[in-house]
Amino acid sequence: MKKQIHFLPGLLCVGAVWLALALFCWFHPAQELSLSERRKLAQFPSPDVHSVLSGEFIPDFEEYTLDQFPFRDSFRTLKAVWTFYLFGQKDNNNIYIADGYAAELAYPLKEGSAAAAADKFTALYNRYMAGKVNRVYLSIVPDKGYFLAEANGYPSMDYRRLAEIMREGMPFASYVDITGHLALSDYYKTDTHWRQEKILDVANALVDAMGSDSAARGDYLEKTADIPFYGVYYGQSALPMAGESIRYLTNETLEACTAYHVETGQAAAVYDMEKLHSRDPYEVFLSGASPIVYLKNPNAASDRELLLFRDSFGSSLAPLLAEGYAKITLIDIRYIAGDYIGDYIDFDGQDVLFLYSSLILNNSTMLK
Amino acid sequence: MLLASLFFYTWGEPKYIILMLASILLGYGFGRLIQAFEKTMWAKVFLSLSIVSGLGLLGVFKYADFSIQTFNRLTGSQFPLLKIALPIGISFYTFQILSYTMDVYRGTVKAQKSPLKLATYVALFPQLIAGPIVRYADVAAQLDARESTPERLYTGLRRLILGLAKKVLLANTLGELCAVFRASGEKSVLFYWIYAVAFSLQIYFDFSGYSDMAIGMGRMFGFDFLENFNYPYISKSITEFWRRWHISLSSWFRDYLYIPLGGNRVSLPRWLLNIALVWALTGLWHGAAWNFALWGMCFAVLLIAEKLGLGALLKKLPPLVSHGYVLFFVVLSFVLFNASGLGGARQDLSAIFGLSGLPFSAEQTLYYLRSYALVLLAAMVGSTPLCRDALSRIRSSGRGERLIRMAEPPVLIVLLLTASAYLVDGSFNPFLYFRF
Repeated sequence: MKKQIHFLPGLLCVGAVWLALALFCWFHPAQELSLSERRKLAQFPSPDVHSVLSGEFIPDFEEYTLDQFPFRDSFRTLKAVWTFYLFGQKDNNNIYIADGYAAELAYPLKEGSAAAAADKFTALYNRYMAGKVNRVYLSIVPDKGYFLAEANGYPSMDYRRLAEIMREGMPFASYVDITGHLALSDYYKTDTHWRQEKILDVANALVDAMGSDSAARGDYLEKTADIPFYGVYYGQSALPMAGESIRYLTNETLEACTAYHVETGQAAAVYDMEKLHSRDPYEVFLSGASPIVYLKNPNAASDRELLLFRDSFGSSLAPLLAEGYAKITLIDIRYIAGDYIGDYIDFDGQDVLFLYSSLILNNSTMLK
Repeated sequence: MLLASLFFYTWGEPKYIILMLASILLGYGFGRLIQAFEKTMWAKVFLSLSIVSGLGLLGVFKYADFSIQTFNRLTGSQFPLLKIALPIGISFYTFQILSYTMDVYRGTVKAQKSPLKLATYVALFPQLIAGPIVRYADVAAQLDARESTPERLYTGLRRLILGLAKKVLLANTLGELCAVFRASGEKSVLFYWIYAVAFSLQIYFDFSGYSDMAIGMGRMFGFDFLENFNYPYISKSITEFWRRWHISLSSWFRDYLYIPLGGNRVSLPRWLLNIALVWALTGLWHGAAWNFALWGMCFAVLLIAEKLGLGALLKKLPPLVSHGYVLFFVVLSFVLFNASGLGGARQDLSAIFGLSGLPFSAEQTLYYLRSYALVLLAAMVGSTPLCRDALSRIRSSGRGERLIRMAEPPVLIVLLLTASAYLVDGSFNPFLYFRF
């Protein structure tokens, strides 16, 4: 009997924790969204005879139990802490933190992916732009790994080879190397993106390369959003990182500009303040992902137009190019197939800039 | 217990619950008949029918397409595959039922009169889908009367959590390394060796972790399952390895196939055939592909060599050499085991010995070696009895025992929460052996 008593405290402690976890799992109210992971969470699957007998119900239920696990973010942090600090692993879910910056392991270079991207852009050029537009430019936005990986012992993509593949695949485009105008501090610590207030050098380099009027460079007022920004890597790394501030640059020109979204048929301001309180506050820049946006500058000194084939990095860059153009058409071919672009754009004498990040070019299957 | 076990099985495999119940019913019926006609020719007939029906079902569901593919390859035919889904746990519960009817035939146990109790034995959820293969004799008494004490509950819970930690924290993490290796376009000889060691450790912690969970849960419910792993990686011979690895399976083949075939009490050629047959089947039990059969045959060759003199030599060699011999062949065998067929096995084994033109090392190799070094080290240490022995030494004093008693629950709670954290962060989490 005495021996049995010895086991009671341990049994009650561990059993209580197990029971508490079980009760939390069963009775914790289901959440719809994960703000840290920026996605919808799986909901309880509807059980019916077909889904149960076919075996579909069980995997859906398992996904639901994991997604709806109580204190999910805290548990993910526990896992991240164990991974990094106990097991000494260098990345967690392919996200690593070095010099205070979270970045994604972007390795190795998928030459096929880059070549496929160049082929897609070339096909678009041949179909719509050859002989119709002004000059075509290409620029690649390096991801943070460019600055972090090799210096901190992480495998590093061959960025030089990436640029080589893109240049060889797009001989009609003039390549603009912006890496010399960027540093690690120009990026958010917890997000993939660069900071708009830090890329004026990049904007000016592009403006120079495209032969835009130097007088078109504007002076800006830097404003800070009143909410802390936790970027996409914050959620993916699941580590406690400090929130950052989103800053944006504005002036009279930009305040007069309008951004017309073809998909919704709505016009909006260049900076969509409502998005600061959304799942991804970075969408403050031109309201985030959109297939085609017309950014119109009524106060432009000329009627020059720019076609900007871009990814999300272009959202924060385009306003800094607006001074020199009456209209910038932003095209995101992740959201619109090349076959339909001609329905919305009249190709006639514009400058063309293909501006994509190394991460997109290395995973170009998302380009339609 | 039976209802819970059937619900558990139906939850994971709703279509084939009927198959398992049918197998149980056949086992029950044949067991009763064997006992009713004991010591007559009819007992042998019913035993044969039990074996044929059990292995027949296993053959259809697990080996039909393998047989068709092999026949097609050998003859150039193009018979279509049946594409029958493999029922979860069929290899385990079939062998349990067969061991039951064979034990009834041998008189080792009395036939169970209650179909519900026999069904409980076969379908017992802690060990149903991934073992250990429990002998009826080991749990017969407990089917009728079990006790649940604080000691059993706590020690069972402890074993369950430790098994969960082994599986989730170590096996799954090592599995990630293996997956990275497989997906890598920058393989090297060193990466192959890292993968081979990682997989050998992954499969050990996956399977032994699951066995710990089964044994722990069984203990909580009043059942005492036999140990299934006994630190196999400290073995000094392959013979010893197989007395420590998946003990319930190797002992099953020994007791129900090898010994009935005559074991080693036959002529030399017959003995060699017995070993070859047993190990080919042991390999095929793990998977319906020729690389599994080859895996089993490799062990047959080594076991024969050890019985013919190598074993005696190994005993004279320094332990480091004999350990090295075992680990070398076991690690290579798992490369064969995890290959995608014979072609994949040839490719992997060529590469691991530098015969594929791969560089010795590469940037990605060194990165993952640095990243997983601690995990690999922890796994290597954990695969030895070092921790167990250290705890035993601490426990040997009264003060040490009290210290362990106080420290153990918080450690178990941390492991439980961390394992939960890993599961939450991941997604689908299959046990490696659950499709056998």
